[in-house]
Parts: sequence; C-alpha cells; structure tokens
Amino acid sequence: MARRARFTVVAVHELLLAVIRWGSPNGVTQQDNQVYRLWDLTYYIAIPLGAIVVGLIVWCVFRYRERPGDERIPRQIQYHIPLEVFYTVVPIILVVVIFVYTYQAEDTEDNVAPGPSLVVRVDAFQWGWSFIYPTGYEVTGSVAEEPNIDSTNLPVLTLPAGETVQINLFSEDVNHSFYVPAFLFKRDAIQGINNSFDVNIDPSVAGQRFIGECTQFCGTYHPYMRFWVQVISKNQFSGWLSSHHGLTTTAAEG
Amino acid sequence: MTLVQERPQYFEQPERRLTEIVPGPKYKGLLSYLTSTDHKQIGLNYMVTSMVMFFLAGAMAVLMRAQLAVPNNNFLSLETYNQLFTMHGTIMLFLFLGPFAFGTANYLVPIMIGAPDMAFPRFNAFSYWLFLGGCITINAGFLTSSGAADWGWFAYAPLTETIHSPGPGGDLWITGVGLALFSSMFTGINLIATVFCLRAPGMVMFRMPIFVWNQLITAFLVLLAFPVVTAAVALLWCDRHLGTHFYDPAGGGQPILWQNLFWFFGHPEVYILALPFFGMATEVIATFSRKPVFGYKGMVFATLSIGGLSMGVWAHHMYTTGAVLLPFFAILTLLISVPTGIKFFNWIGTMFRGSVRLDSPMLFALGFLICFLLGGFTGIMLAEPPLDFQLHDTYFVVAHFHYVLFGGSVFAAFAAIHYWFPKFTGRKLDERLAKVTFVLMFIGFNLTFFPQHDLGLRGMQRRIATYPPTAGWSFLNMLSSIGAFVLAFSMLPFLINVYVTLRSGKRVGPNPWDGMTLEWVTDSPPKEHNFEFIPPIRSERPVWDLNHPEHSTLPHGRHARELRRGVDDILPERAKALAARAGQGDGYNGGGPPGRAGNGGHGGNGGDGGGTNGGPGGDGDGARESDGGP
Repeated sequence: MARRARFTVVAVHELLLAVIRWGSPNGVTQQDNQVYRLWDLTYYIAIPLGAIVVGLIVWCVFRYRERPGDERIPRQIQYHIPLEVFYTVVPIILVVVIFVYTYQAEDTEDNVAPGPSLVVRVDAFQWGWSFIYPTGYEVTGSVAEEPNIDSTNLPVLTLPAGETVQINLFSEDVNHSFYVPAFLFKRDAIQGINNSFDVNIDPSVAGQRFIGECTQFCGTYHPYMRFWVQVISKNQFSGWLSSHHGLTTTAAEG
Repeated sequence: MTLVQERPQYFEQPERRLTEIVPGPKYKGLLSYLTSTDHKQIGLNYMVTSMVMFFLAGAMAVLMRAQLAVPNNNFLSLETYNQLFTMHGTIMLFLFLGPFAFGTANYLVPIMIGAPDMAFPRFNAFSYWLFLGGCITINAGFLTSSGAADWGWFAYAPLTETIHSPGPGGDLWITGVGLALFSSMFTGINLIATVFCLRAPGMVMFRMPIFVWNQLITAFLVLLAFPVVTAAVALLWCDRHLGTHFYDPAGGGQPILWQNLFWFFGHPEVYILALPFFGMATEVIATFSRKPVFGYKGMVFATLSIGGLSMGVWAHHMYTTGAVLLPFFAILTLLISVPTGIKFFNWIGTMFRGSVRLDSPMLFALGFLICFLLGGFTGIMLAEPPLDFQLHDTYFVVAHFHYVLFGGSVFAAFAAIHYWFPKFTGRKLDERLAKVTFVLMFIGFNLTFFPQHDLGLRGMQRRIATYPPTAGWSFLNMLSSIGAFVLAFSMLPFLINVYVTLRSGKRVGPNPWDGMTLEWVTDSPPKEHNFEFIPPIRSERPVWDLNHPEHSTLPHGRHARELRRGVDDILPERAKALAARAGQGDGYNGGGPPGRAGNGGHGGNGGDGGGTNGGPGGDGDGARESDGGP
C-alpha cells in the first residue's frame, strides 16, 4: 500500500515535471543533477504561490466587482497588521529555503576538482572556436566567407564520457560565451578573466553529439559561432587522442 | 526659493492667493510648446515624445520578429538586424520607459502634492530639450553610411572599441545616451526638490499618494545610478577617440570593468523603469476599487527596500562571467521578491471587499498584475545562479524582461494614459475602443512572449539574426512572430481612439473616475499653476475625503479598539446625522485645524490619534470629535 502510494507520488511528480520542463534538454553531465533539483524546488514553490496569487486576483475581481445599481461604498479598511506581518514573513522564509538550496547547488556545480583526467583549453574568437588538447592537438573552426546557418560542418570538441574534464576558457578578442544546451551550463570568455569549469559527462550518452553555441553577442556573425560536442567512451578517447598527437585540424563552416 | 526670514511678510498679506499670476508673454501653439516652462506642458512633451519613440522601437521589433519568423531567413541582413536590436533596446530603455515615467511625474507630482509647478521650471524645460536632443542624436545613427550602433544596448567592451566597431553610429550612441542620462539626472534633482520643498500645507510625507512616493524613490535611484554610467560612457568615448585603454585589454584595460559600471547603473535602471509604473497601477487600482491603498505604509517601506536592495544586485547580470561573488548577489536578488510580494498583496488587499469597476484603466492594471507576476517568478528562477547558467542570454531572459517591462511597465503606462487622459485633455477616451485595445494587447503580448520561455529552455540564444531549421525552434518562433503582429496591430485602435477623442471626445468634469488624489479637484486640464483651492489634506486621499466625508479611512489597531469601546454604541444614528450636517459645509472651514488635533476626542487619546494613517478626514472628523468628547 505504502509502496503504491509512493509510486503514485513519484508518478505525479514526474508527470508534472515533464509538463513543466517544456523543451528543456535533459542534462547529460553530473553537474546537471544540481540544476534539475533546483528547478524542481523552484517549481514546487512558485507554482502553488503563483496559483494562489492569480486565484486571489481573479476571485477579488469577480467577487467584488461593482454591480449595476449598487451605489454602496465599501468599508474603507486600510490596515491589518497581522496579515501584513504574515505576508512579509512567509516570503522571507521561502527565500531563505531557496537560497540554501541554491547555495549548495551552485557550490557543487562550480566546484573545480583538483586532479582532472583531461584539461582542454578552449579559445573563442571572432568568429569561431579552437580546442587545444594537452598533447598539442588543436581543432580550429571559424566562420566561412559566406556562412550558411544550415551548415553542420562545425568545429568539433571531442570529450570522453565518465571522466572529469576541466575546460579552461579564453577569449582572443571580444566577449564570448561557451554554451552547450545539453550541459545546462554556460560560461563567458572574457579577456582578463581565467575561467575554468568541470564537466563529467554521463557514460550513457557516449557516441552522441550535442550542439554548442556562443551566447554572448560578439559582432556580426554571432549566430554562426556554433560547434559540436562529440562524446566518446573513455577507452576510445585515449586511442583517439594519441592518434591525433601533434596534429592541427582546421574547419571552415559552410 | 522662499527664505525663512521672508515668511512673516508673506503671511501678513490679507488674502493671498495660493499662486501668483506672473505677467509675461503668453504664446500659443508651437511657440508655447517651444517656450513653455509649465510642468504640465513639459510633462506632455515628455509623454508624447517618448510615445513616438515607443512606436519607433516597436516598429523595429516587428521587423526583427519578421526576420525570425522562419529559420534561415534573409529578410534583414545581419548588420541591419544587429543595429535594430541595439536601437530597440536603447530606445525602449533610455528614450521611452524612463522619459515616459518622468513625463507623468512632471505632470502629476506637483498637482498631487498641491504645488503650482516643479521646483525649477526652467531647469525642467532644459532637461526636456536635452532628452529630445538625445532622441535625435541616437537615431541619427541610421543616417550614417555605416548605420547605427550595433553593439547591443548593454554595449559590452571590448566590442565597443574602435577596432571592432569603427563607425560613427557608435559615437552618436554614446553622445545621445549621455544627453538622455543628463536629462534624467536633472529631472531627478527637480523631482526631489519639488517633493521636499513644495508640498501643500497638511501634505506630510505619509499623506503623499503612492505614485509620488514611487517617483521620489525613483529620483533617488536615478541620482545614485546614472552618474556612474555617465562616467562610464565618457570613459568609453575616451577609449575610442583619445587613445585611452580603460576597457581595452590590448592596453591593459579590463573589459569586465565596463560590465560592473554598466550594471551598477543597469539594475537600478530596471527599477527606475518599474517603480513609477507600480505607482500608476496602485493609483488606478485604488480608485477603481473605491478603497484606500491597502497597507499604505507597508507599501512605502516595500518600495524603499526595493530601491535599497536594487543598488546591491547589479552583478546578477554577470553570474556567468565567473568574476563575481555568486551567493552574495543571489541572496540580495532573491530578497527583492519579498517587498515585491508585499506590493502584490497590497494590490490584492485593495481590491478585496472593494467595489471593483472594470473600466479600461483597471483592465490595463489587471493585465499589469498578471503579466508582472509571471515576470517576477521567472525573475526568481534567474536569480538562482545554477539556473542562470542554463538560461542566461537565452530567449528565456528575453521573455522574462518583456514580462516585466512590457507586461509590467507598458501595461501600467497604458492604464495611466487611459486613467489620466481626461485630466490631460478634458476628454475621456472611448471605452469600447479602449477595451478592444486591451484585449488585443493582452493576447498579442502573451502570444509573443510566452513561447519565448520555451525557446530559451530549448537553447535559443539571444541576439541571433538567424537560426537553423534543424534546431527545433521554428514553430515557437512563428507563434511568437504572429503574436508580435497582433501586438503591433493592437496599437491601431489605441491611436484611432486618441485621435477621435482629441477631435470629438466626450468632455468631462474635473473628476470623471471619482478619483481620490489632489489632481482630481482641479480643472481638466488644470489651469496654469494648477489650483483655485486645495481641500484640507487629512489623509493620502483628500479629494475622496472631500467628496465622501462619511466614508473616510477606518481607524485601525489601538485607535479602532478605543473607538469601539468609547463611541461605537452611539455612532450609528448620531454619526449619520452629524455627517449629513457636516456634508453641507464647504470643506474649507468645517474641519478645524488640520492634522492630528481632530482626533483628540477619542478616549482621551490626546494628539496621538492616527492622523497620519489617514485618520478621519474632512468634516467627518469634526463630527466624530463632537461625538466622543466629554
């Protein structure tokens, strides 16, 4: 009985979240779990609260609308101190709860582990990317003379699954931002700031590839500054990396 | 300004008018527009100019939505698209919402506090002309061969350095924004001086309408935030023309410095664009519920704390830069939702047990409540850094701030236009056309911006002129573009309504809505220097007290208990009789000395009788006093 009740609760929870998550991709990194936990908490607070407030507004408008011919003037109430204290204190408590979870999530997501299995340097420039591996292998792709937004010939960032990868992000000129929607994460590339973050991609998505974008407006060809993230399994990756030792690949989009 | 030493002489004159007629040339038509220092004319100038800017930037938005309606579209070139979104943002933020709010402030704040004009009328005219200069300068960029600025309204360095953006459009942007900023700062100074120095007798701070409070707090935010960004754009100009390297990393400058300076202005700015509009919505909701603003003082404190907190949250625009202390800015940002929530409950409390009339201003105000609520909730999501890492610079953010600034501020602006139009022109807008406007606007707005939340979650980044068909964004973008066309179309009934009403609209008296604040006691439109007479000011709604002396705000808390113990049993019959008798008085002579003394009769409570809390006003006051007194 208890198991069935729990199943129902879980099913309702999942259904609700499936509706609410809309088109948001499922995160594919370990760091993402934090994001979805936080989304759930926010939804569980925001939706009932929003429903209450909208309900109150709609109810007040319909229940207390002026009826034709009724000239009575309502009681001129202005203050109700206990009520005012209530609707001040309750939001403060909610905010503190959200903040505590936010702090934990952010702390975990932003944590850069001391001994990563792989460090990749990502350079963003107008308008393209270059990915530099510790072996010296460098993949560079930039926007062609007459770019085509349909192009799938984009620079590829190859990453191993199931390992902690540290990405060091740099800009060569204006501000850019490294965004992979499937990672539910982005970080800006700004000159003068050394940004590092970890990704640990779920082994179940090995073999898949995900689109990456620049999200910081960086000039004329901003929409074309895209790239692929190709995930391969841990074993394949070491072979792949040694086979590309010291090489440089250059791709032009479109 | 009147010096204190001069005052005895001032009072010795036997019958002094509230305002003095200053002889001088009187111009009509264009010349009066060009030379006026009257706060009402300047206010109208501001509002009309900023509405023109609104339609201009709205047309740009329609062009952009046309480009994005289908993937891989070639309707606009990349360069044109970038110029359009830059100018759309710049115009809407610097040249429409802010100046429109200042226009209403110019027109209404002096009247609401019973003043004949702003504190510095010529200074006021000067700030309008600066603003107009800003409008022309910023838009002049389109006339140059390389087009207008194309670096976004946020103008992130180092994209703004000459090496990346060489054209003169950018310089015109810097100059024009500078002019608009100076204009706003001058208006801010003027507003503060007006509110502090020119309030009518009896108009203590806690009897100012919420609208005035919000404008006052906004003016302080302007003075705190705008000098910073004015300096920042001046440094940018130096970088571009004098060879300095404040933001240029090539010479050791820091691009992130621009972001800090810009957002230190940019976040208070969004409250500068919101608080005045909260004030407008508050006045509308109170009038059309026929009740005082619920929790008036709480609302003032909420606005003050929004103003205070807004100065410490700028870096929530910079979570993804990796250069800011996330928890600090996250908690401060989240905390803003508390006073904002208080405002919501105040608005609901005002309608609760009221008598809600659904005239067009109230409809727009209700549209404001619903849309702004959604914008507020998405704001909480964006305030959490992990969610912001996903959502920052995607269409989710676009949806969020349009729900706040269009669904919030613009709906409130339309509520204000429909509400105060009779006061501005003496004619009332046609209700039927106004309701058509509202329905089309509400549908168009939500159709445009609701799908953009999902686009953002699907990873569509901002400021892109084109996107691939494979991205899965096509349907939602089409939906959004259709909505944008509906929204643009909704301006048509509005413009027809304004045109027809100005030519042949129904003439109305001073107070067509049964308004509560001082502007409704004078003519529509008010004469020069505003008032023939000012009713006694005993609460934040003197005109209501004048028109409904038997329905002044109920005392609360201790005062209510004392009243119940002492006089409630004899109130029903006698109070009615006394109120009826008092109602015949002319409102000027009946109420005894203004202020707190009137409450002295209640249970020997002395002078501490809730006067500032909207204690019984006008003549009802005198009636109760004779009731409860020994």
